[in-house]
Amino acid sequence: MKVAGFLLALMLPGAMAGAQEYLNCHFLPGWEQSGPKRQFIAENLFEYKDGAAEGYLVYGFVRMQGITCKLGQDSLDIDVSEMTDEDLAYGIFTANVDPGFPVVQIGMGGQVLRQSASFAKGKYYVEITEVAANPLSDQTAMLRAFADRMIAHLEGRSSAPAVMGWFPRENLVSTKLVPESVLGLRQLRRGFVAKYKQGQAFIVLEDSPESAAAVLKSLRTRFSGATAAKVGDEGFQATAEYLAGLCIFRKGRILAGYANLSDATDAVTLAAKLASSLP
Amino acid sequence: MKSTTSRREFLSAGLMLPLASASSGMSFLKPSESAAGPAGSAVKLDYRTLGRTGLKVTTLGFGCMITSDASVIERAADIGINYFDTARGYQHGNNERMVGAALGARRKQIVLSTKSHAPDKQGLLSDLDTSLRELNTDFVDIWYLHAKGNPAEIHDDMIEAQQLAKRQGKIRFAGVSTHGGQTELLPWLAQKGVFDVVLTSYNFTMDANMEQAIATAAKSGIGVVGMKVMAGGFRGARPGEPANEKLKQPGALLAALKWVIDKPHIATTIPSMTDMDQLDENLKAMEHPFSAADQKLLAEHLDLIRPLYCRMCGKCDGACQKGIKVADVLRCLTYADGYGQFALGRERFQELTAGNGAVRCGDCAECTVSCPHGVRVTDRMARAQELFA
Repeated sequence: MKVAGFLLALMLPGAMAGAQEYLNCHFLPGWEQSGPKRQFIAENLFEYKDGAAEGYLVYGFVRMQGITCKLGQDSLDIDVSEMTDEDLAYGIFTANVDPGFPVVQIGMGGQVLRQSASFAKGKYYVEITEVAANPLSDQTAMLRAFADRMIAHLEGRSSAPAVMGWFPRENLVSTKLVPESVLGLRQLRRGFVAKYKQGQAFIVLEDSPESAAAVLKSLRTRFSGATAAKVGDEGFQATAEYLAGLCIFRKGRILAGYANLSDATDAVTLAAKLASSLP
Repeated sequence: MKSTTSRREFLSAGLMLPLASASSGMSFLKPSESAAGPAGSAVKLDYRTLGRTGLKVTTLGFGCMITSDASVIERAADIGINYFDTARGYQHGNNERMVGAALGARRKQIVLSTKSHAPDKQGLLSDLDTSLRELNTDFVDIWYLHAKGNPAEIHDDMIEAQQLAKRQGKIRFAGVSTHGGQTELLPWLAQKGVFDVVLTSYNFTMDANMEQAIATAAKSGIGVVGMKVMAGGFRGARPGEPANEKLKQPGALLAALKWVIDKPHIATTIPSMTDMDQLDENLKAMEHPFSAADQKLLAEHLDLIRPLYCRMCGKCDGACQKGIKVADVLRCLTYADGYGQFALGRERFQELTAGNGAVRCGDCAECTVSCPHGVRVTDRMARAQELFA
């Protein structure tokens, strides 16, 4: 382990050089770096995000690097968090999205507000926070420009996970990646959840059809009164106290379904529609 | 909304009454109450009084920070858990929104707390209004100044904000949350006399000084809420490491929770819960009090981490005759050994040893630093110097 750690350490300078490219105050004219670069890992993230660090850790946080840029009385805090994989970077972005504002195409997804911006690209989740002399000023254009310049220096995927496109669009309110316990069920370890005007849908990718079948079987035993549903390769419907009408099915290695509907029959109908959009 | 508005007005007026009256206002909960528990069984929940607030809270509360599905919160509330905690900053406000929606009509039956990280009165009060809107309530029971590590971080205008919010009926009680520096901060809060509740990290890896600080706060009338009660899910026991299987054995995390609940000065705890199974597991703490078997389980863990793990208790501050900040250097070593972050460890090490970088522990005939928790200081310092210097 110690040798491996030492070898990893030898590889780090390369990674740091990359970091210096995407952490650059000169992406926009006039901005200058103030103070040294920040670096945090899971062990010490609380020093910077005191009281909020767990919100990063649950999404597979690896490290954060950041700088502060200044222009006159205004400053920009730019923090780049590297997550374990691209889906988790997208996941923490979706967890923090303000539902009152649109998601725009910056990397896998982004959002620009009056004095802050965030986006995900590859394994990176980026937060840019403006501390303006005038707290009511609208910095949207500047923040968007900064994000656009910055994103060219970040490696990795620029499109949302393909799974997001499998959810039916009709009556869709929001989507997010849940890092553990989808629908509050431990068996559904990690997956995507779509909230609709009525009810919510989920998609979980298991390693194999066999493991998906085992999870489905385990889930069915949780819900007394569950009955078979002809959806996908196999499925069941039930009415549960806290998830209301639900239908969960398997298609290959994919587990998916609907919950929180007033009637389990509605859940079956919607689940069948979802199943038809799955690969 | 109409009913909660009148409740705020009632509360605002009620602030003139003795606290005992406020307490009786929460008498919908009785210590002997039972509630439906896991798999339909009855779980007898334990209640304690949250210091001078008079609130009767279940010893098992609910930290909502990383909960993603409202169903877990709804079920916990229906079972009878009555203390729920969130914060303005969690998921950029989305957590408050989810908690508010989950509690819905149950709001009147629970004690709800939130927090703000804002640095001044204006920011705090603005955050509070946003919190109330997102939580869909007209008041919160406890409003914490979020994540304060020492008295200097708590300014008079922050206290003014809390007092004003109390008078306006937007909050019932004022609190402070803290993740570090408690041995200095808690006695200061006790002496200050304007805080009703403290939310503090507390778990079995901490030393007797922490217990003393909590006792000081509790004896002054401050209600004490414990968080991080499972020591970060047992730090150092990450998947793939030999210790992981042993420490993740059934009952280990529950033992850590029971250890905190067993402490008399702790009114309630707020472990994070993301699914129904965690909720059921934690409810077992109500049925099976902390036992000798739990003690043994936790002692095994402490034995495992003791030689390596610095708890940052501060007892070695100033003990090195060469002026080395031992605890900080050991943390640098954790970055490298524990997380593979050699560059970060070296950078911090070189900052720390800027004035005494040539010092080598091996040069001293005898080390003046002795760790009360059993960390092998000389060995660990020598390794840090070998790696980073």
